[in-house]
This record gives sequence, C-alpha cells and structure tokens, in this order.
Amino acid sequence: MDQGITEEVVTGAEAAVYIQTHSVIKKRVRKKYRAAELDTKLRKERTKLEAKIQSDARKAGVPTPIIQEINGFDITMERVEGQPVSLVINKTIAEQIGEVVCTLHSAGIAHGDPTTRNMIVSNARIYLIDFGLASNDRSLEARGVDVHVFFQSLEALHENYRTLKKAFLVGYGKKCRDIEQVLSKVEEIERRGRYL
Amino acid sequence: MIVLGLEGTAWNLSASLVSDDEVLCESNSAYIPTSGGIHPREAAQHFANNVIGVISEVLSSTNPRSIEGIAFSQGPGLGPCLRIVGTAARALALQLGVPLVGVNHCIAHIEVERWKTDLLDPIVLYVSGANSQVLSYRQKKYRILGETLDIGIGNCLDKFARSAGLQHPGGPKVERLAQESETYISMPYVVKGMDFSFSGIATAAQEALKSAPLEDVCYSFQETAFSMLVEVCERALSQTDKSDLLLAGGVGANKRLQEMLAVMCSERGARFFAPKTEYLQDNGAMIAYTGLLMLSNGIHTPITDSGANPNFRPDEVEVLWIKG
Repeated sequence: MDQGITEEVVTGAEAAVYIQTHSVIKKRVRKKYRAAELDTKLRKERTKLEAKIQSDARKAGVPTPIIQEINGFDITMERVEGQPVSLVINKTIAEQIGEVVCTLHSAGIAHGDPTTRNMIVSNARIYLIDFGLASNDRSLEARGVDVHVFFQSLEALHENYRTLKKAFLVGYGKKCRDIEQVLSKVEEIERRGRYL
Repeated sequence: MIVLGLEGTAWNLSASLVSDDEVLCESNSAYIPTSGGIHPREAAQHFANNVIGVISEVLSSTNPRSIEGIAFSQGPGLGPCLRIVGTAARALALQLGVPLVGVNHCIAHIEVERWKTDLLDPIVLYVSGANSQVLSYRQKKYRILGETLDIGIGNCLDKFARSAGLQHPGGPKVERLAQESETYISMPYVVKGMDFSFSGIATAAQEALKSAPLEDVCYSFQETAFSMLVEVCERALSQTDKSDLLLAGGVGANKRLQEMLAVMCSERGARFFAPKTEYLQDNGAMIAYTGLLMLSNGIHTPITDSGANPNFRPDEVEVLWIKG
C-alpha cells in the first residue's frame, strides 16, 4: 500500500480515484440510493472483475498498470508516470494505439471507454487505464463501440483528427484482419448516434 | 396558436386543446381491461367507441374555427390504437382545413414537461409500459443514450404482478407491497454499458415467489430494477456534464423510483424533476403542445405520411424547435 500523500482526487460516476506518489487507489463509493445488500454485492463483483480484466489485458500484452492490491471495494495499482495521450498525440502514437487496441480486442476484451484521456504514454509505450467499463466481449458491436468512442475523443479534442484516425486504423489493421467489418460496425453505430 | 391533440398509444384515449401558454381543456377515456393486461384489439375497440366523445367534449369548449392544427400520437404504441386516433385526426384536419402533424409520443412526454418546468436541457429517464430509455438532446435530436435490451419496465412489472395474482395495473400494487419489506433477495442485475435488461428479473421474481413472501419479492424486484435505471441515469449525467434530470412516463409515478433518483441527484449536485401525475401519464395535452411546437416551426405531416408508426423512435425526429 502506498505510504505517500494523495496528490489529486478524481471522481467519476462510480468511483473516486486517489492519485498518490507511487500508487493510484480506485475506490468504488457507496451509493445511498440503492439497498445496502445490493450496493455491497455490486461493488464487490465489479471491483473483482475490473482488476481481473485489467490484469488479463496485461497478460495479453497490453500495457496496463500493475494491480498491487484488491481490498474490498478498493483497487491499488501502480502509478504509471507519463503524459496523457490527449496532450501529446501524433501520427506515430495514434498508430501505436491502434496496435494496442487490436491486441486488447484479440484477447476478447472490450475497454468500454478508450478515450485519449484514458491512455498514458510512458517510455514510448501506450498504457490503457480505467477498466471500469471493460467487459469480456468479443462481439463486433463491443469492438465497434470502442473504436467509435476513441474516434469521438479525437474529434472533440484534435483538429487533425482525420489524419489521426487513419493512423489508428493502420495500426489496428496490422494484426486485426477483420478491420473492414469493425469499420462498418462503427459506421452503423455512428448512424444510430446514441453514443457520446 | 391553438392546437387540438389526440393521444391514443396504449391505454388512455385523450383529446386536448392547448394554446402557446396553457392547456385549455382535456377529455380522457381510459381503457381498463376486465382481466389480464392490455389487449390491443379491445383497447382499439374502446378507442373507436369513445374517440368521437372525447373530441366533441373539447370542441364544445371553443369555436372550432379557432383551431389552427391537429396533432396526433403517431407512435410508438399499439398499431390498432394508433390507427384509430390517426384516422380521427385525418378526418378532423380535412374537415377543418388545417394542417395535420404526427407527434412522437416519447418526445411529447419530454416537451410538455420542459414547458411546465424551467428545464432547458435535461437528461430524461422515460419509463412506461413498453418503453424504457435514457435520452439527451444533442444536435437537433433527442439521442437515446441507453435503453432496455428486451422489455419495458412497466410491462415487466405488470407481467410479474399478473403471475403473483395481482390485477392490472400491477405497478401501484407492487409498490404498495414493497413498502412492507426490507428483505432483499438477489435478482439478476443487468447493465451493459448504458443499456439494461429486465427479462431476467421477471423470471427470477416469479421463481422467488415459490419460497419467499410476496412483499419481499416486490421489494427486491423494485430495488434491483430501479437501481439499474438510476445507475444509467447517473452515468449519463456524468458523461454529458448535464445537471438536470427529468422523469417521464407512467412508471415515473412510483414514489420509490422518484426517491432513488432524488438521492442520486442530490449526492452529485444535480437537480431532479418529477412532474405531476397528470403529465407522467399519457395525456392529450402533451401531443397538442408538441404539435404546436412543430407547426410553429413549419413542420407538418402530409396525409400520405400520416400512417401509424408503432416502432417510432424519438431519434428519428428532427428537433427544429430547439435553437442551438
């Protein structure tokens, strides 16, 4: 467990993330709106599942923070030093992201929220973080949603998003041969227009 | 502008006159099944028998020549019911020589509440018999951020209530029984991304009845199903950075669901709005008012495009009346 002080707290819909000197602690918070038994059950199950998927992804060759400890509703993990992809993205990085996401999908995992804010560049490697919405899902739909969510995050933040999208697809297509099917799924999802 | 609206998607047949500022009058005729749930043909027969009555009643309160448009619920809903109100609306529009406009029932629920509150751009939880959706306006459309993968929450409640021997509508009876218990029995909690599924709960609840008191099963059913809805609403608020939540649809009358949404919103500093029951339920005023918005923005429905649309999705409608 980290002995360091908490430098920053980030709160999401489901959890609070404490960023410490050497570790990051993700705490799933009690939701007062739901019955205590249900709340405890959901938080326990999801904490376990998130840690499991994150470490499975790592075993499959996707850089993710090492899980150090799971304690009830808390996951303590390695703090990856580096820069958020949203600040440093370029063509080379976008292509690398494509390779990493393809590796993840080939392991049967969908990230669920692969925005440029949930990726860190560290020692020239792309780390994926926050597996809170991840699932064991090989379906084209889940993969399409991942690619679409990533594209949306590019469009929202980066002017040269067209170039970056192309570079991502070059990286993704190197090993994921069914890229055409994934892309037509992405188009279908875009037409539905329901994801953010 | 004064618009006459006709609602008739499932159980409530309703005619109403609205002006830009207020609801002028409304006349309702609810179909109440003698046994079991809503039977589409019986419901449509009830509508056919009563549609002239509700229209005559609202017409008697005004000079028909002051009406500038006829709005009707075009969908989503039960086909036989939709065809009755559609036919009545076409006849009225032709007779009075005014434009006809087909309204999406779900959007009407949202618009009438935006009209009656100060909400500009809320996340909407729309829960009724057949529908369960989380919606958010963006770029001229009400986008469906999440929805049921199988059956609507209301139908799921009714299905379970019937299997427990409770009479239609089962929702209020389940709600009352649930208040008698705090014993939670585990049931399938299915949230996938922003979507949710209720069919597993209906089966699990029927199964649980064999060994547990009805009160405990009702309590557990509500706690599980409603928690799924609240969770997706919270995620929608978080992802969109919006700070208002609006409840719509008949199941929204459930006090426990309202309480859970209120707690979630207060914990994250959002505002929560639960409208009066008259607007949560299906009503003609919401159709008339949404029709008025559409007609004011140059939208009308040619007779040839005015057929019933039982699977009419809210994101098919271009929302020209919201600027920006």
